[in-house]
Amino acid sequence: MLEYRQVCLRYPEGDRDAVAGFSLSVPEGSVRALLGPNGSGKSTLLLAALGWMRPRAGEVLLAGRPVSAWSPGERARKAAHLSQIERVSFTYEVLEFVLMGRAPHLAPLAEPDEGDEERARAALDALGIGDFARRHVTALSGGELQLVRLARCLVQEAPLVLLDEPTAALDPANALRVADALASLAREGRTVVFSTHDAALAAYASDSVVLIREGRLLASGPSAEILTPELLSRTFAVPFGVSGAPSPFVTGSSIRAAGGGRGSGSWPR
Amino acid sequence: MASGSADAPRPAGRVRAAGLWAAAFLLFALALLAGRYPNPGFLDLRLLASDDLARTILLSVRLPRVLAAALLGAVLAASGNAFQMVFSNPLVEPGFLGVSQGAAFGAALALVLGFRHDLAVSGSAFVFALAGLGASAALARRFRFGGWVLRLVLAGIAVSAFFSSALAWVKYAADPLRELPDIAYWTLGGLSGIGWKRLAVVAPIALASLAALRAAGWRLSILSLEDSASFSLGARPGRERALVLAAAVAGVASMTAVSGIVSWAGLIVPHAARLLVGADGRRSMPASIALGAAFLMACDALSRSLLPGELPLGVTTAFLGTAGFTALLLGRVVTVVR
Repeated sequence: MLEYRQVCLRYPEGDRDAVAGFSLSVPEGSVRALLGPNGSGKSTLLLAALGWMRPRAGEVLLAGRPVSAWSPGERARKAAHLSQIERVSFTYEVLEFVLMGRAPHLAPLAEPDEGDEERARAALDALGIGDFARRHVTALSGGELQLVRLARCLVQEAPLVLLDEPTAALDPANALRVADALASLAREGRTVVFSTHDAALAAYASDSVVLIREGRLLASGPSAEILTPELLSRTFAVPFGVSGAPSPFVTGSSIRAAGGGRGSGSWPR
Repeated sequence: MASGSADAPRPAGRVRAAGLWAAAFLLFALALLAGRYPNPGFLDLRLLASDDLARTILLSVRLPRVLAAALLGAVLAASGNAFQMVFSNPLVEPGFLGVSQGAAFGAALALVLGFRHDLAVSGSAFVFALAGLGASAALARRFRFGGWVLRLVLAGIAVSAFFSSALAWVKYAADPLRELPDIAYWTLGGLSGIGWKRLAVVAPIALASLAALRAAGWRLSILSLEDSASFSLGARPGRERALVLAAAVAGVASMTAVSGIVSWAGLIVPHAARLLVGADGRRSMPASIALGAAFLMACDALSRSLLPGELPLGVTTAFLGTAGFTALLLGRVVTVVR
């Protein structure tokens, strides 16, 4: 579904590559966590998968073709993207805001119809926020807005969903809601790639984990094999404890505990 | 910025939108009848059967003028809404990007150079309005600082300041008795010189601009999102925004060429429209068009009816616009955007 081939990415104002020689293949229907510290290149990789950033070297393939080879509409029907934060300048109602996710399925000047509105309502209901429909997005808390933005991604109905730190602004209950939404996307056969610096979320929600540090891939594989104290310590450059030892990055200490998510870990409940 | 009450149901928005159109049509009728012939106030329709002058005034003077006012208001408000959505900034307006100052300089230059015919003044204003936009876009492309929106904003500020300075030089060189009053009047705006002939020249461009902006209503909602968000939804943000701006500026430049600079309408009418019907471009764009048309028809009718001499239109729009907008804000429950 998504493949990085020796990808190098650099920002226009940067003097070094944010991502260097990165290769990874994400098969259809998998949930892949990109795990690494701040500034390690996770968001950059997701933007490259979206086509927003073009590789300086190498290529990113989306559904077998270079991302840039797809038209904007085709690309948006194949990949949905949730950025870390998003400033909204106008007082859209939540339903109107989520409805914008239908844009890739409509001609540039067409307007959504009732069928689209039904889909938007269903996406809100799926995340348990159906009662938000008439609220204004500018009056929502950061966590509520994150859920609404996720609903906009869902309504896009793209087979690949790219999520950049999807739970960063959420309290534990809402973070669990998002983590379970990722699992249900996978059950529908969609491919999910999300970035996080939270090993517990990676363990709970993904079936495999990619460790990234300074724009390079450190290790990749099933979460049970990858989320070891040694590899996590190398990734985050701090001593890492998995069972019992406190860690600044992991809420609780339950990565290896049995859980109800997709991966090998449990979400602290 | 401010918003309406948090749980305003959509049907209320629809009723308000219908009310705006009804108000626009009512004001159209009232503006046609308002004036100072034969007496200050409203024209008695029975006079039309017996008074040739009344008929001529109604059909040849007031009708094109009221239509021009409606078109001017609709174009300014629709363009203002488009600018604000495209730039994700509720504080911009159509004169932004050097358009208004370019038009003012163009008109003043034509007057000082002795090209005093209406079409020469309008044509020069139109050309320099587009030059202002072109210079802003060209500068923004060459800047190596910040994102697309910031570069365009900075370029617009620079170009506007340049044309303001150039306008000051033209005023300095102008004949204080003959040319300076004309320049001053033009920069304050007015529709006293409008007739069917001039309206026919600019109306097709203004109507095409309005049609394009109305058609783009929902797309503007997508373009109002951050660049990467609108891109992820299948838009080409840079190209589509440029198209919207071109459509908006063409309309504004064409109408400004015959009206002079009319301030405030493009800034505050879209705010009022969004407060009344919501931010979604499907509703805010038609509401801006209706409210803009109604507002300018009312302002123009007052400008030509209140005093024996005509008040500059820009003065009336600024006065009524700020008063109305303040009242609207004071009367609403507002929520503060984080």
